[in-house]
Amino acid sequence: MLLAVLWLLLGWLDASYLYRLASMALVFGLLAASANLITGVAGMMTLGHAAFYGVGAYTSALLSSQYQFSPWLTLPLAGVTAALLGGLTAWLTRRLVNVHFAVATLGIGQAVYVTLLNWVDFTRGPMGITDIAPLSTASPAINLGLVMLVFLLCYLVLERTVHSYYGNALRALREDEQCVAAMGLDPAKLKIQVMVLGCFIAGLAGALWAYSTRYVSPGDFRFSESITILAMVVIGGLGSLPGAIMGALLLTLLPELLRSLGDYRMLVVGSIMFGFIMFLPKGLIGEYSALRVFRSHLKALEQS
Amino acid sequence: MLDFFDVFLVQQLLNGLAQGLVYALIAIGFTLIFGVLNVVNFAHGEIYMLGAFAGLLAIQLLAPPAFAVLLLVAAAGLVLGVLLERVAFRPFRRFNDEASLKSKALREATLLSSLAISIITRELMQLYVGADMQSIPQAYLLMTPIQLGPLSIASGQVLIFVTALLMFLLLQWLLFRTRLGLSIRAVSNNRLGALHVGINVNHIIIATFAIGSLMGAVSGIVVGLYSGNIFPQMGFSPGIKAFVAMVMGGLDSIPGAVISAIVLGLCEALSTDFVSQGWSELISYGLLLITLLYFPRGLFGKKVERV
Amino acid sequence: MSAASQYHKALIIAAFSSLSLSAFAAPVAIGYQAPLTGEYAQYGNQFRNAANLALDEYNQTHKAAPVVIKFADSKGDALEGVSIAHKFSDDNSIVGVIGDFSSTVSIAAGKVYAETHLAQLSQTASHPDFVKISPWQFRNIITEAFEGPYNARWISQNKIKKVAVISIQNDWGQTASKNFAKSFKDAGGEITALESFNPGTRDFRAILTKVARTHPDAIYLALMYEDGAALLQQKLQLGFNVPVYGSSSMYEKKLIQLAGPAAEGVKISTTFTASSKEPNVQAFVKAYEARYHVEPSMFAGQAYDATRIMLNAIAKAGGEKASREAVRNALAATKDFPGVTGNTTFDPVTREPAKNLSRLQIHNGDFTSVAN
Repeated sequence: MLLAVLWLLLGWLDASYLYRLASMALVFGLLAASANLITGVAGMMTLGHAAFYGVGAYTSALLSSQYQFSPWLTLPLAGVTAALLGGLTAWLTRRLVNVHFAVATLGIGQAVYVTLLNWVDFTRGPMGITDIAPLSTASPAINLGLVMLVFLLCYLVLERTVHSYYGNALRALREDEQCVAAMGLDPAKLKIQVMVLGCFIAGLAGALWAYSTRYVSPGDFRFSESITILAMVVIGGLGSLPGAIMGALLLTLLPELLRSLGDYRMLVVGSIMFGFIMFLPKGLIGEYSALRVFRSHLKALEQS
Repeated sequence: MLDFFDVFLVQQLLNGLAQGLVYALIAIGFTLIFGVLNVVNFAHGEIYMLGAFAGLLAIQLLAPPAFAVLLLVAAAGLVLGVLLERVAFRPFRRFNDEASLKSKALREATLLSSLAISIITRELMQLYVGADMQSIPQAYLLMTPIQLGPLSIASGQVLIFVTALLMFLLLQWLLFRTRLGLSIRAVSNNRLGALHVGINVNHIIIATFAIGSLMGAVSGIVVGLYSGNIFPQMGFSPGIKAFVAMVMGGLDSIPGAVISAIVLGLCEALSTDFVSQGWSELISYGLLLITLLYFPRGLFGKKVERV
Repeated sequence: MSAASQYHKALIIAAFSSLSLSAFAAPVAIGYQAPLTGEYAQYGNQFRNAANLALDEYNQTHKAAPVVIKFADSKGDALEGVSIAHKFSDDNSIVGVIGDFSSTVSIAAGKVYAETHLAQLSQTASHPDFVKISPWQFRNIITEAFEGPYNARWISQNKIKKVAVISIQNDWGQTASKNFAKSFKDAGGEITALESFNPGTRDFRAILTKVARTHPDAIYLALMYEDGAALLQQKLQLGFNVPVYGSSSMYEKKLIQLAGPAAEGVKISTTFTASSKEPNVQAFVKAYEARYHVEPSMFAGQAYDATRIMLNAIAKAGGEKASREAVRNALAATKDFPGVTGNTTFDPVTREPAKNLSRLQIHNGDFTSVAN
């Protein structure tokens, strides 16, 4: 609903900058939402989310520029490659607990970045990939509409996952792994499933990014990007899906609004981040309130 | 294969050892602070950077003897550590109950608060001194070559070695031979327990930050003078390597972190030699992953059932 | 009472005049995107300084139709660069864009300008693909396809047969080292090692030791001056004494300040020398030093020229009435534009500039011209 209104409004304004902002916010919304699933809901702190995002972006960019695959093929393929890497990561790290897992993902993230940068024959290294076809040759409004569509689908999938009994199992995994095992669930399996789903969506986001920017280079997938995604999740509220989207909106739009501040921009962003953590440690929309809203919604549905 | 085993290889091993000691210097303070709070202090790299700048400022304003520079930087690090703790960590210690201590959300909030502080510090420094490298008076540079036959060691490498050794020994003495060390170990083991036996947990945490940051700041100026690089972003890259070394070593084991740091440094130098610098980083992260795969709690980690 | 009415009248007039100003004399603007914060902030700030200098000089002589420059901070990040490109494209007052600093960001932004039809002139992007994006891309820096072969010829003229190349692993460093290596081999020389390092590396001892093993007669460096300063110091400490040649990116006073005696003897070719006797260079250096209290580098010179070329194109395209299309065509017609980095002519097909290089050597803590 909200997205449709936004789309109409943007179509009416028809400013390429606003299209850009909207698609950027959507891509980062997806990244934050998927990171929220992994870090917020399942409690597996990831410091390498940009790696899966980057793998997705490079998959679609390479397939599109080298083999002229259509976006309808490269989008799911980007998701699948990222999901494979995510699954592999989860399988390798299934025995690790919190900080160790975080550092392992940091390692994966840096390894992917260094590979993208140095495997010149395959990824064109620091040159990046320039000749990516647009998502569709129709107007930018249609392109944005397509991005919105993918976003909406992913959002629905994530919402069903997070607000279900399965989501509850993930929350239990976050709080106490041994309890989960005692209930007869396999924590390792849950971890792998979460990483596969989360990374699939991150890969999709990467593909959308590649198509909307039409230029990818390793620099876009550095450690600092992973940190930004994590910050979005924390600002929005760990474990809260609408919160993650809000956090992504805030951290993508705020730096743009502050562009006129020039040199002081990053300083202001850092300070706002600090302010949030300090005074709203539960985030914009805390997990509990997000769940409560959803449950009351559900109850109302049942009664009617 | 044998022709590789020449003087250049020995030089390469020396380079790697020196680089590893640089990581170790940072990792020591890092690990100490992690141990007591169980929270990663992302601002440690910024303390390292500020230490280097404090030293540079002292050199530019007072031109004191080198030893006095170190003392001044140590004092600055002490103050910075206390400040950092007050601003980024204290606010999250409002609750001392078991649930809050174990709450992931709170722990991650603390981690991110130090990250935010590190961004703010870096940006402020960039606004204030500019993003470029600072020029260091030649007399203070620790680059005087010491020739050992065909090998060349920099005076800075000797100093780094001595500093690392001193820090390591002092810390071992402090932790295992003094009352303060006993309290630090108690707090890091079980904060609630420490509270119950009458340890002033707040004071101990502040003291740990002060000591850890002192070490971070001193390593900043030593490494800055040795590599000839002092600039606002200098803490980032070695900070990450120190973080990796800490985890490989088992998170709360200082000897483990030091050994892992040296292994990382050696690996980087050797893989630069045999492959290329570009891929050498991949090899250190690969090493990290393999370590975690076979030693899920790091090389020297304690066996803890629940964290 | 009269005082109050006077006041109101003044207010109304002020309001109207500001309205009319914004309605009729909306000044023509240049968009300037550059890294003003982040790890490349020092370059972006030099660009801004030089561009402001060029702009003020222009506005002094064109009081009737002043131009403004709108700066935007790209942080050296492609993501930011693209956002800025969209923002500039939507801003109707902007008729031409200068920037960005790195080729990566310039290309990412260039994709946007190619679609929105806004001329983009980069002062530093030397990636071969940059001007191939569309007819809307220009650069006033010579590419590595030009500088590399020049330096290769220079080194082989000096009877040096074996050279090791060390470059930064980014788009620019890659093109620079490959172009150099290829032409040096073509000239009959031998490349003993071709090493690159990831951006952010500041300890070069391992690379230097590796390179030393191959016993080169000289080293060629394709990197930024800060990396260069650290590398030269570490090279001195390792006792690895071979001549060093560098790309023009190392032409920077700070290199000597940072590296001190380690920089002695380094040879660099560049399009801009602050010590040049050319009157326009002297005027620029004097004005820049008076305003910013520091000697301008090659980067400042490039930005100064880029701004002047753009301003010149705007003036030719009709000043305040200039359209984006007209500015683009005026830019493309730039011929023998006298700048501080040499004369600029854009090739009508490739839109590549052609310029002359001069040879410098660091001697007694200063850059001095040398013949070979």
